[in-house]
Amino acid sequence: MKRPASSVRLRLTLWYTLALALIILAFSLAVFLFVKDRLFRQFDRGMTREFAAVAAEVAEDAGDFRDIESQIAPSLFEVFRGGAPVFRSASFRKAGLPESAGVPAAGIRTVRSRRGERFRLLAGPVKNDRFLVVAQEEESVWHILHTLLAILSLALPAALILAALGGYVLAGRLLAPVGAMARQAEKIGAESLSERLPVKNPDDEFGKLAAAFNQTLARLEAAFGRLQRFTADASHELRTPLSALRSVGEVALQEDLDVAAYRDRIGSMLEETSRLTSLVESLLVLTRADSGRLPMNRKPADIGALVGKAVEDLRVLAEERSQNLTSDLPGGVEIPVDADLLRQAVVNVLDNAIKFTPAGGAIAVALTDRPGVVGIEVRDGGPGIPEADRDKIFERFYRVEKDRPRDAGGAGLGLAIAKWAVEANGGRIEVESRAGRGSTFRIVLPKCNIRKKEST
Amino acid sequence: MKILVIEDDRKIAQALKKGLESERYEVDAASTGSEGEALAAGRAFDLIVLDLMLPGRDGLEILAAVRGRRDTTPVIILTAKDTIEDRVVGLDAGADDYLVKPFAFPELSARIRALLRRGAGGTAGPLAKLELADLEMDAARREAARGGRPLALTPREFDLLEYLLRNQGRVVTREMLAADVWKETRRATPLDNVIDVHIARLRKKIDEPFAVRLLHTVRGVGFILRGESA
Repeated sequence: MKRPASSVRLRLTLWYTLALALIILAFSLAVFLFVKDRLFRQFDRGMTREFAAVAAEVAEDAGDFRDIESQIAPSLFEVFRGGAPVFRSASFRKAGLPESAGVPAAGIRTVRSRRGERFRLLAGPVKNDRFLVVAQEEESVWHILHTLLAILSLALPAALILAALGGYVLAGRLLAPVGAMARQAEKIGAESLSERLPVKNPDDEFGKLAAAFNQTLARLEAAFGRLQRFTADASHELRTPLSALRSVGEVALQEDLDVAAYRDRIGSMLEETSRLTSLVESLLVLTRADSGRLPMNRKPADIGALVGKAVEDLRVLAEERSQNLTSDLPGGVEIPVDADLLRQAVVNVLDNAIKFTPAGGAIAVALTDRPGVVGIEVRDGGPGIPEADRDKIFERFYRVEKDRPRDAGGAGLGLAIAKWAVEANGGRIEVESRAGRGSTFRIVLPKCNIRKKEST
Repeated sequence: MKILVIEDDRKIAQALKKGLESERYEVDAASTGSEGEALAAGRAFDLIVLDLMLPGRDGLEILAAVRGRRDTTPVIILTAKDTIEDRVVGLDAGADDYLVKPFAFPELSARIRALLRRGAGGTAGPLAKLELADLEMDAARREAARGGRPLALTPREFDLLEYLLRNQGRVVTREMLAADVWKETRRATPLDNVIDVHIARLRKKIDEPFAVRLLHTVRGVGFILRGESA
């Protein structure tokens, strides 16, 4: 966990340093060019002034320019008259400047002396058909510029090293929470799902990351808890028929019975086996539902006919209990569903309604066709479901009446399977209930059935 | 009729052997894949009952070997795996039928009979006229009578009685009824109570007014339609 973080840190620092180097380089270049430009302007202004001063003297002078040379301090100059040089000051000659025979072009420019020093030359015509060239060494300017360059080239790496170090430290401090989170997350296992990552500042990015992680953990914890409860409930439910099986067998072996009695005991054991089998069957359905491994086979189906078949199949159960089972199922409502799955959901809900409606009560099944959705309503005449239990009835192994005897198939999985079967079909199942006034289970299916998840 | 049972669970193998022998089949049992494969290669069997998860050699491999020899002996697969893909794999490998554990023995027995009938060329079609003692049924005209008195049956009761008559003398389980009479494909759908009610009503119509009972409940297993002597 440590390496990726430090490599992020390194990468951050490198990028940061590189960006900074480019910026500083560009800035230094700009500064250098600006200073150079300014210095030369200043220098040129000085030369212009000197040119004017020398020019004034040169224009007046009769022909011998030596006293100008001695009068005016910077005395590098040459004078041309009639296209030919007539005078060069001693220092001009000593400086080793190129000495042209003809009149050079007017204007200001830089030339190199024979010794390689840079000189600024300002050439221009002067009164009385004279042409003056004034020269001045540029070294003072270049000295400043070189110093500036030296300062810049020393300061740039220094600044970069400082920035890199600072950036590295800063990145480390910024990334520290990530490392802390990683270490904390490593410690969270199946046994310590209740632990959470510390959230220092819920508004910053790391805080949000930690919060998101914590939400995932919470969901995991809940799922894990459900799984544990489910496993515990399942073992409990499996234990009941198993112990019945065992005690009936053990007792039968202890007694001396006639053949008929033995047959009866074996039959009783086989009954328990059936209970076990159907329980395992239901558990398998739910397990597959959880893993999303149950393949769906969706085809357009007439929902009215589908529900009608379920109603007719179960009608005998209602008749046995003298219940009045009515249905209002208009035909022609066709939507794509996995008919087997949906049928199972309807059968389970209806079976539940018949079980909970007292003898002589009424059960009504209706199909409602509304824009966009189809509703299958099963209204029972049962005792109703207390508010507190309403969400839980779809949970596995949940029984509203804890003391209700477990009859065949009454493991409390029917509604859980119904809920899953409806949701796998893209719909939802709801319940409305008022104490003493019965419950209404409503399966709502979307008409344009978009697959929520493709199960494989 | 010789049947080879390849099943590694000793108890199941013994139970199958005894059960099938009581139905007058000759049964060889193999408890490992390799033993089963050797037996299958060595003698001619009329039918093979094959468990899929076996030590030594996998059931599907044995099946592939049998079919590889162009041996068309009917094979029923027994397995605890019951997803549709598993079924498809088994049937694609050349199995003729597929039974998921835990299965009911009467159902296995019924499927074996069906396969053997098919192998024997089969009859021209199901009999239209069925009878047991003084109970008569014309399946084509959907009429039934006992002791000459017509029975007023609902369509479902008629289907139920027809199924019981076709399997007369043999136990049929609720699973078989759910699958074959109610055409319920999902094993987890609770139809047991529904079946029990229909059986009770059928019993009321075909048995109650008469001295001899024909429809019996075999506790823990299912139902059987039989005459007194059978």
